[in-house]
Amino acid sequence: MEVFGIWIAAFLTLCIYSFLYRDNPFYRFAEHLFVGMTVGYGIARSIHQGFIPLAWTPLWAAIIGESPAGYFKLIPICIGLLFFARLSSRHSWLVSYPIAILIGFGSGAMIPNAFQAYIFEQTRGTIEPFGSIHAGTLSGWEIFEAVLMIVGVVCTLTYFFFSAEHRGPVKWISKVGIAFLMIGFGSAFGNTVMGRVALLIQRVDFLINDWIGSISALF
Amino acid sequence: MKRQVPLILCFLFGVVMILTEFSPHAASQSVYNEIVNWTLIVWPFATVLAVATLVQTHWARIQRRSEHWQYSYVVFAGIIVMAAIGVPFGMKHPAFEWLFNNVQVPMGATMFSLLAFFIASAAFRAFRARNTEATLLLVTALIVMMGNVPVGDLVWNEVMAWSPWSDKVSEARQWILDNPNLSARRGIILGISLGGISQSIRIILGIERSYLSGGDA
Repeated sequence: MEVFGIWIAAFLTLCIYSFLYRDNPFYRFAEHLFVGMTVGYGIARSIHQGFIPLAWTPLWAAIIGESPAGYFKLIPICIGLLFFARLSSRHSWLVSYPIAILIGFGSGAMIPNAFQAYIFEQTRGTIEPFGSIHAGTLSGWEIFEAVLMIVGVVCTLTYFFFSAEHRGPVKWISKVGIAFLMIGFGSAFGNTVMGRVALLIQRVDFLINDWIGSISALF
Repeated sequence: MKRQVPLILCFLFGVVMILTEFSPHAASQSVYNEIVNWTLIVWPFATVLAVATLVQTHWARIQRRSEHWQYSYVVFAGIIVMAAIGVPFGMKHPAFEWLFNNVQVPMGATMFSLLAFFIASAAFRAFRARNTEATLLLVTALIVMMGNVPVGDLVWNEVMAWSPWSDKVSEARQWILDNPNLSARRGIILGISLGGISQSIRIILGIERSYLSGGDA
């Protein structure tokens, strides 16, 4: 069964790489199979990691009289069922209820989390080294790095500040911001390329060692 | 009913999430956890609706006999096989794990690795040192890529043997990532966060309502 799995995986890998030549039936087969299996996996996961432990188990406990609090789970179940109103043209407006709840939840959760995880932490990380400058524990190079950091953050933010026209000093500050952004994008690009190449090496390693290795093991 | 109730629900859930996040009281935390669980219960229904829409789209493709309609059956086969094993028998079933490890994971990894070729060819065409900004992007990307792999080190050492920076490409890469790159990312993160917060406030207060009708109602 293990060798069969290796052959299936190798066949599908080669089907997808065949796209490098041009679009063809093998690639389209693998592409559509990937979409279908990912959706099927998503269905199984949302039921077994979402609906069953969070809704069905507590509700069943309430039905058999173990914990009446489980009946509260009927509320989100009913909210979720409203999604299917989309399938009826007469009642499709009801779908706005669960959407409004999810959007309200997401917006409400976003505000404190963004403050805590991004704004406070990132600002603290930017200005924290200046506390060490006062204590005299930073070298000249580290002071330069701390100043570079704050200059980069301020200039990048200025580039995204559209409430003032980018003229005079603001124009020059935003130009420095563009330079920092280009370095950021260059780093992101370099890291992305290396990540993809690492995946490519892993797939080629699979084809050479596991798949061709399984052929030589047969003889 | 059609407009006011969703706006009130959005406001209530948004305000409750903000208040419970800032209050460490046990009752407040239990309300917070309950609402988080509610949304996790609601999501699978949205997933089912999304699957129904996908099935409708592919079924229409088959009925209309549009181009490559035969492959819609492959989509159905993939959904049915994974769901028929995963839903009744669970995700720990050997057959489900076999399909996941030998079909889905290799295809996902190969799809992403395919991008290595396209990203490289796109870079070859787009990377031209036309001005200062483009040169910065090009040089940074080259240093980060070379600093990541031993062969990059080797090339750098050969090319830069005459300079005091030979044997320093890994350090240069790390310095770029830790300083100018991080400051740019911090600027972007701060900008996105401030924009996200202002948009969230607009949604909770009912100023931004486009999610109700698809237009700026």
